[in-house]
Amino acid sequence: MLDVRIEKLEKAVCFMKKLVSLLLIFLPLLSGCQLRALNPNSERASDQTFLIWFSFGLMMIVLSVVFFLFVRFVSKYKQTEMNKNDIPRDVKGNKKLEITWTTLSMLLLVILAVPTVAITMESSPELAETSLENTSALHINVTARQYSWSFQYQNGKTSENQLILPKDKEIVLHLKSDDVIHSFWVPELSGKQDVLPGKEIILEFKADQVGTFLGKCAEFCGVNHTNMTFETKVITQNKYAEWVLE
Amino acid sequence: MIFDFWGSHVTVPSDIISAWILTIILAPIVLFWISKKKKWPLVREYMITTNHRKIGTMYILFGVLFFIRGGIDALLIRTQLAVPENDFWVFQNDKYNELFSTHGTVMIFFVAMPLLIGLMNVVVPLQIGARDLAFPYLNAVSFWMFLAGALVFNLSFFMNSAPNAGWTAYAPLSTDTYTPSAGNDYYIFGIQISGLGTIFTAINMIVTIFRHRAPGMKLTIMPLFSWSTLITSFLILVAFPVLSIALFLLMFDRMFGTGFFHGGVGSPIYWQHLFWIFGHPEVYIIALPAFGIFSEVISTFSRKRIFGYPAMVLSLALIGFMGFMVWSHHMFTVGLGPLANTFFAITTMLIAVPTGIKIFNWLFTMKGGVISFTTPMLFALGFIPTFVMGGVTGVMLSAAPADFQFHDTYFVVAHLHYVIIGATILGVFAGIYYWYPKMTGKQLNEKLGKWHFWIFIIGFHMTFLPMHFAGLQGMPRRVYTYQLGEGLFEFNLISTIGAFLMGSSMLFLALNLYKTHKHSPNVGNDPWDGRTLEWTVSSPSPEQPFKKMPYVSELDAYWYAKLENEDLSEANDTRPAPVSIKTIQPVILSGLLFAMSISFIYQWVWLMIITGLAVLSIFPIRSLTSRNEYVEKRVKHE
Ligand code: HEM
Ligand SMILES: [Cu+2]
Ligand SMILES: [Cu+2]
Repeated sequence: MLDVRIEKLEKAVCFMKKLVSLLLIFLPLLSGCQLRALNPNSERASDQTFLIWFSFGLMMIVLSVVFFLFVRFVSKYKQTEMNKNDIPRDVKGNKKLEITWTTLSMLLLVILAVPTVAITMESSPELAETSLENTSALHINVTARQYSWSFQYQNGKTSENQLILPKDKEIVLHLKSDDVIHSFWVPELSGKQDVLPGKEIILEFKADQVGTFLGKCAEFCGVNHTNMTFETKVITQNKYAEWVLE
Repeated sequence: MIFDFWGSHVTVPSDIISAWILTIILAPIVLFWISKKKKWPLVREYMITTNHRKIGTMYILFGVLFFIRGGIDALLIRTQLAVPENDFWVFQNDKYNELFSTHGTVMIFFVAMPLLIGLMNVVVPLQIGARDLAFPYLNAVSFWMFLAGALVFNLSFFMNSAPNAGWTAYAPLSTDTYTPSAGNDYYIFGIQISGLGTIFTAINMIVTIFRHRAPGMKLTIMPLFSWSTLITSFLILVAFPVLSIALFLLMFDRMFGTGFFHGGVGSPIYWQHLFWIFGHPEVYIIALPAFGIFSEVISTFSRKRIFGYPAMVLSLALIGFMGFMVWSHHMFTVGLGPLANTFFAITTMLIAVPTGIKIFNWLFTMKGGVISFTTPMLFALGFIPTFVMGGVTGVMLSAAPADFQFHDTYFVVAHLHYVIIGATILGVFAGIYYWYPKMTGKQLNEKLGKWHFWIFIIGFHMTFLPMHFAGLQGMPRRVYTYQLGEGLFEFNLISTIGAFLMGSSMLFLALNLYKTHKHSPNVGNDPWDGRTLEWTVSSPSPEQPFKKMPYVSELDAYWYAKLENEDLSEANDTRPAPVSIKTIQPVILSGLLFAMSISFIYQWVWLMIITGLAVLSIFPIRSLTSRNEYVEKRVKHE
């Protein structure tokens, strides 16, 4: 009788575990390759995608440990007809265990911190005054205003709500806002960078594939924020040279 | 719909007209019902009370009411987003902006805060053996100020000018140049007044816990819910004044032409710093008390003392302290530079450690116990996996470059709801089911409670899990629609279905309340076989509890006394109880503050002067009337 029950329980636990791991690990994996923020087309975005996956992996370790203990304890120690009048033995704590999980979790975070610090130091955008002038790169002035984007290229050519970029060329965007705060975001090419009034911020990246990517304003900026989108076209350098002189 | 107003045309959207009509129909029904049931004396009694249980009950009542309001907003949001390029009713563009701004503000300030403060009010005095809060009059002031602020805020919708700059009200969008309507003035005054009330509550809790514990109850054996209240109160005491100041500065910018947050000298970034120096501790302010509740519930229903009590207290304190060092993780994309981003990424990761410690301690409290799946325990059990999922996405967000992608997308919306609903809302439900007997004398129906839990938790995950993917697929937050080709449809449709499932679970709570009050008998002192002092007093708790003051010599003293089949020993040196009085002054004060807010919002100078003077006059009135009563009581006592 008891054996049967335990067996049933074990089956249930096993099923739960499968379900949970299915949901948590496979769902994102299945759809992962299509999700835009996980589909980088520049080194900058690749670094970010790497960190997303890396932190996700580490956190899955934490999550599985907790879920495992949770399911195990809840099923093993639940109240039954047999133990319903028991008074369990009190445990005040356990120094060794407590130190163990504190150090292990610290260790996990150190592992996460190392690449985080490296990539953060390298890729955090700065105010124009503080960043070094990069002369070999292609500079583009980006001006955001309620509710549109304009892009001005080095020869003075401008485009509205359409950003044209050459492939494999260092791009330096000079971001400025005419009114409120906006945020420049093309998931495949760069993370977000807020666009502030009265300050100029530098965002650098290099697109390594040709293609068309949807860009959006990611900082709520008023009535028509939703529609403040733009198209980003990455084309070959030759095509770009032609286009910019058109 | 267009109205003629002294010759000028005023257009009022149909959702507001529906709300007006609904109010006109409902208000007489409610008034009639109160009269018919002869409840006016009861209403009066609650208006003049200073008793902690009654005030706590009112906090919870209004918290639930505003939860319904914020919940309706959420369902409207989800309906508009259900399918791509949707045009649901009026909720596009500015109307949608008003929706999420109200939803967020109401949920944080007028749902999470009052529900938790309500539970603190009901439980903390009973749990530490105090006869009331240290300053009962101040407590009533706090409550009525909260209500005044909440009413100011909610009035905005009826006046067709709901706030529309998000709950974060980022400058310069929130300055009068870009949002000239009265909406954000309502935001400023609504939060300012209720926030002040919250600061008073914090002071009250701190003094109560330091001064009115039962004899023998050292801080080192105080129950964890009281500990979490103490630490939360300190957080409030530091964080809320920052919000107050930020709101004052914004008010000056909007009304008196200063330039703190825009223009040549000021900067919109100052607002973000001030807001998040308040805002991040705020998320711990609404999480820590919930942690306290779970500690009580898990321990009670595992029939074991909490595992690692010192670590639990220490981690509460650490989380509270470190909560002040992480605010700029909300500003990774502002361009503060590599050093600032690195620093705040590291501190944010660190704060995960004490949080993790707590999770393990809860798990090991259950290990070796006898776990009974009562409704409060189910909510606590639902909390652990849910909150851990929100916690791990929090760590993912702390990696600054990864946040360049996550920031301001639905990934963040998912994360914040996993932690806030996972901790605060599940905690509040656990707390309400658990302590309902202490509030009303009745125990809620277990079967309906379980239905409530399961539908809520399934609906919850269905709503918010897909949002992670919507965010990664490029959906920013605060947008009212998306295009068909963007690959966002499936995620959003599932979310919307989940949201309605979640909403429907509340019907089980409503049914439960109705049935319980209709049919259930009162229960005894200790229906759950509890461990702490609140279970030694009768249900509902009497206005003068602890006639015989217990002596408390250890953690969970009541539990161990029950095991030995003994009563708690009686203490002889008891502190004088706080003086409870009946007074209408707090209601008048908050009525005046309400009127004053309206006069400021619409710049009616004469009303400002009159109400301002009237508010000030309450101070001497209070001073002159209170002393006599206090002395009188003392004399009678001796
Ligand atoms: C009833 C279930 C709920 C649903 C379906 C829901 C849904 C949503 C959605 C879809 C948004 C994003 C709106 C947008 O960015 O356009 C949102 C924002 C938000 N929600 Fe909820 N929510 C719920 C409950 C709660 C609760 C209980 C809280 C807190 C106690 C909360 C706090 C917030 C906050 C602070 C925001 C941010 C508002 C802003 O962007 O200004 N929500 N909610
Ligand atoms: Cu925008
Ligand atoms: Cu934060």
